[in-house]
Amino acid sequence: MKRSGVVWSWFWMILGILYFFLPLVATFLFSLRAKLGILSFLAYQQLFTDDDFIKGFSFSVLWGVLTIIVGILIFVPTAYWVRLRLPQFRTAVEFITLLPFVVPAIVFVFGLVRTFSHPPFLIVDSPALLVAGYTVLSMPYMYRAIDTGLRAIDVRTLTEAAQSLGADWATILFRIILPNIRVAILSGAFLSFAIVMGEYILAQYLAKPAFAPFLAFLIQQKAYEPAAATVVSFALTWACMGIINLFGRGRGQAPIAGGH
Amino acid sequence: MIHLTLSNISKEYGSTTVVQDFNLEVEKGEFVSFLGPSGCGKTTTLRMVAGFEIPTTGTITMDGLDITKNAPNQRNVGMIFQAYALFPNMTVAQNIGFGLQIRRESKSVIKQRVEEMLALIRLEQHADKYPFQLSGGQQQRVALARALANQPQVLLLDEPLSALDAKIRVQLRAEIRAIQRKTGITAIFVTHDQEEALSISDRVVVMYEGKMEQVGTPFEIYNFPQTAFVANFVGTLNTAAAEVTDPSKGLISIDGIQIESAEDLKDKQNGDKVNIAIRPERFSFASDGKKANVMDCRIENITFLGSVVRIRVSIGDTKFNMDTFNNPFLELPKIGDTSQVTCSREAVLVLKN
Ligand SMILES: Nc1ncnc2c1ncn2[C@@H]1O[C@H](COP(=O)(O)OP(=O)(O)OP(=O)(O)O)[C@@H](O)[C@H]1O
Ligand SMILES: [Mg+2]
Repeated sequence: MKRSGVVWSWFWMILGILYFFLPLVATFLFSLRAKLGILSFLAYQQLFTDDDFIKGFSFSVLWGVLTIIVGILIFVPTAYWVRLRLPQFRTAVEFITLLPFVVPAIVFVFGLVRTFSHPPFLIVDSPALLVAGYTVLSMPYMYRAIDTGLRAIDVRTLTEAAQSLGADWATILFRIILPNIRVAILSGAFLSFAIVMGEYILAQYLAKPAFAPFLAFLIQQKAYEPAAATVVSFALTWACMGIINLFGRGRGQAPIAGGH
Repeated sequence: MIHLTLSNISKEYGSTTVVQDFNLEVEKGEFVSFLGPSGCGKTTTLRMVAGFEIPTTGTITMDGLDITKNAPNQRNVGMIFQAYALFPNMTVAQNIGFGLQIRRESKSVIKQRVEEMLALIRLEQHADKYPFQLSGGQQQRVALARALANQPQVLLLDEPLSALDAKIRVQLRAEIRAIQRKTGITAIFVTHDQEEALSISDRVVVMYEGKMEQVGTPFEIYNFPQTAFVANFVGTLNTAAAEVTDPSKGLISIDGIQIESAEDLKDKQNGDKVNIAIRPERFSFASDGKKANVMDCRIENITFLGSVVRIRVSIGDTKFNMDTFNNPFLELPKIGDTSQVTCSREAVLVLKN
């Protein structure tokens, strides 16, 4: 009985792994066939020398980083304040952070375009609008990651301890709260980054040279490079995950206040 | 010299009054405890002194200055929490130096002060550890050092020992008291443990349902409780309903058994109902020659408590506990025996309500 249980769990696990990895391996192998008859990295070579790829990729990286910074600056104080002073609004705020899952991105982007393409808000061409949009899209991940991090520490008591030692709000946020939710922020940050790198609709309809629209364009034009680009973006996402884990482990037995 | 004054403090949350009519003057260097059951407003009062809550009415003055509405970080008040509240991302030394850093002290001053504090709490070897590498007792000592490093005017402690084992608790409370004496800092200590309050304090404020029931030295609180609540909450106590039979002589009757009290009953009338209280250790078996307050009793139960033996006796219809010190030559009666117990006139307390 117990033995067969173990066998079955292995079976399902291997099935899961196959389901996930087979297409990826196939894509990878396919991306190596740009030269007839032999396996080569030609597709990658062409991809990395393509100006549009460089441009789209670097723009997306830049916007990803900006989104992370804006997200941290907005969501850390918000989540902190809600936990500290407005616990009665927790559910309401959580609902708001989930809106990007409820409102389809296409609806969201048309809303943005309609609102911000007339005076007095004529900023539809500004990258700021794109970053703002990305921040909204990454909100469910970022906010939740931060909120989970805050749950692991005794926010109220740590705040009061710092206050009684003379600290002001900025000091409390930057020297007490941020360092103690560092791991949570990082995981939120990398998730946001992955979202920005893979986001198509917003960039496409705001006509910005981002990575995903470039990829879509590439698929229509070429055979092997899109496969290579897919592998690259997977590798990137995994690198992000790896980094989350690395930081998560480091000094990360994040002792919580009042533990022991 | 009066250092801290709370006058007419009250605190309401919506329509519920959590603290009312709180008046207290604390001397410089005094160690005052707030003692009371859960929910009686001890923490709320302490938090008003710390600045985390603003009183609904009343004023708090420190060194003559009104600080009622000052923000917590403008008060120079040290606070110790039940949950230690050390900053998890900082080492012991960084935790202790945090407040000094905020005040922009120079590196050398901070270093010296941190070392002083580490010596005070005897954790010199642990300076570079993180809080999660310390035991609860050690963490709380670091919290104490962190609060004291800033040289606050008042040290506030909210049940700092509640999360610790019984043994560490007793040890650390002695240590807290010794450090408080050494530094001469004014301290307010919140606890719901009467033994803790009595053993550590210069004065105890007994609180009940948001009001001060009695303020006094541990000696006064224990020996002369003013209200039934204090009498019951502090120490173990026998209480009984009684009737005044002769106010001028201090005569009282419990179910028809006459006893004599040393208390002043001049404001009472014959037949007035009163509550009386007698500590268990004030009873003893009556030896020959005793005249006052000798009562016939029946032994109901005997409980061995280590240094003390508690004997439950019934006097008439009322049951009392009587404590005697244990010793190897003690001759204990048997359950069901009849005997005679006595207590002095001074032992019979007449409660105010
Ligand atoms: N922010 C608040 N809003 C509403 N009621 C509160 C608030 N804080 C405390 N109270 C109420 O005030 C009363 C006193 O609380 P307080 O924390 O001062 O009690 P305490 O004496 O410290 O009790 P304990 O020994 O359990 O810590 C309680 O009934 C509590 O429910
Ligand atoms: Mg409390």
